[in-house]
Amino acid sequence: MNYSFKIAIKSLWHERWINLLSILSIAVGLFILGFVILVLYNVETLTRGAPEKFTVTLFLKKDVTDSKAKGLLRKIKKNEIVKSVKYISKTEAFEELKQSLKDAAYILEGIDENPLFPSIEIKLKEKSFDKDTIEKFIASLKKDKRVDEVIYGQQLLGTIHEIYKSVKILTIIVGLLFCTAIAFVCYSTVKILFYRKKEEIEVYKLLGATKGFIRSPFIFEGILVGMLGGILASAGNLVLFNLLKGMSNPSVPLLKGVILPEELILSLPLAGLLLGLVGSTIALGKIKY
Amino acid sequence: MIKFNNVTKIYENITALRNVSFSIEKGEFVYITGPSGAGKTTLLKLIYLAEKPDSGDISIAGWDFNALKEKAVPYLRRNIGVVFQDFKLLNNKTVYENIAIALRIRGFKDKEIKERVYDALKLVNLRHKSDNYPPTLSGGEQQRATIARAIVGEPTILIADEPTGNLDADNTAGIMKIFKEIHAKGTTVLFATHNRNLFRHTGMRVLRLDSGNLVADEIG
Ligand SMILES: Nc1ncnc2c1ncn2[C@@H]1O[C@H](COP(=O)(O)OP(=O)(O)O)[C@@H](O)[C@H]1O
Ligand SMILES: [Mg+2]
Repeated sequence: MNYSFKIAIKSLWHERWINLLSILSIAVGLFILGFVILVLYNVETLTRGAPEKFTVTLFLKKDVTDSKAKGLLRKIKKNEIVKSVKYISKTEAFEELKQSLKDAAYILEGIDENPLFPSIEIKLKEKSFDKDTIEKFIASLKKDKRVDEVIYGQQLLGTIHEIYKSVKILTIIVGLLFCTAIAFVCYSTVKILFYRKKEEIEVYKLLGATKGFIRSPFIFEGILVGMLGGILASAGNLVLFNLLKGMSNPSVPLLKGVILPEELILSLPLAGLLLGLVGSTIALGKIKY
Repeated sequence: MIKFNNVTKIYENITALRNVSFSIEKGEFVYITGPSGAGKTTLLKLIYLAEKPDSGDISIAGWDFNALKEKAVPYLRRNIGVVFQDFKLLNNKTVYENIAIALRIRGFKDKEIKERVYDALKLVNLRHKSDNYPPTLSGGEQQRATIARAIVGEPTILIADEPTGNLDADNTAGIMKIFKEIHAKGTTVLFATHNRNLFRHTGMRVLRLDSGNLVADEIG
């Protein structure tokens, strides 16, 4: 085994109290960060379903024939943000109305001419969800001569967009804040350990040790401390997740749908490792002979 | 091997070395002498790059210190074994580990480290103390452990700063014997001491310093 790595492992044990303290601080930080991401991820998953349900309904002018309407249908289908389109002819609309009225079909008695408009139902792709794109798309539909009226949930569109944006910004801010704090914990730990070995390091330098030889045990230790913190954080999130799942009952159906992405469990130790690397590298700074 | 050309070293307001020039060939054994505060330690520190001169040129084995890149410093130091005046042994490591470090920094494998450390310990007659910690050793034993660490990497130059400083006559004789053995193997040795008895009538080269000036380059 690499000598630097051996030294790092030894030091991990030799300075176990300070290291344990750092590991726990990092674990708490990454645990909270992981939990926030878990919550945000689930909020996002929930809201992502909404635009898919969101449909644009076009009411065509009464005199638009089926063939003309099909032309428009083909045009709409070509648009990238459209998932599916469905044409409902006047006749179909009337049949549908009759079906839904069923017992009260007598209301329609005496109506000879079909009073309904042909319409087109457009379902949008969830991936292409972007307020500006959709509004441009709707504006282009309104300009079409065959179109009488466009019905769409403008309000909903705006709200979802806002939630999306804030959720993303919040994730980034919280993430950066926590990452900085965690890197700082690694930084201080390595700085303290480095000062404790100052005399030893001076001797190493005089004996001809390279900077790499001096640095690497501390970098390894920083990485290990960060990674162990991350592993604890992942374990904590797994436990909490299972507790939440277990708590779910018919009165709180929301918890049942909660998802714990595997990537999160893997990325917390990885994040700890990287932050440990960053923190310890900064802590060591420039080594002078 | 070692060249000083008009080297001056000033600490704040004390001139520790003033316009010192000399040249030492490969395989020589040279004593550096002079009263306390003459600049012996400073001269040695300039050689192993623990201090930088304020003016003048130093070169070792063709390496010009003025043109030396920082990256090269550790590799140059590996060619120079140093017996520090204050030993610089690590008290939390065994004698074995203290000596092994000099090889670990060079990237030696455990098996080879073991062989070489025990050889060095045998040479300084300290094989039986390999598992002791420095504070449990006598002054003479600590001195010998420091010598073992300096030579274990087989440097081309061995520097010793008052290695017999506060040892009794028996211990001093033992240390001198070790240095002669190392020199006999072809190592260039620089030996700083204020004790004239060590070099008187030996026919060895002596550089005499006084208040930072090189006042004599003579045969002892
Ligand atoms: N780091 C230092 N800072 C200031 N003055 C120093 C330092 N090192 C040595 N000196 C001074 O430089 C002079 C030479 O010291 P030194 O080289 O240690 O002499 P020697 O080893 O011959 O006793 C002395 O006057 C000493 O006080
Ligand atoms: Mg001295």
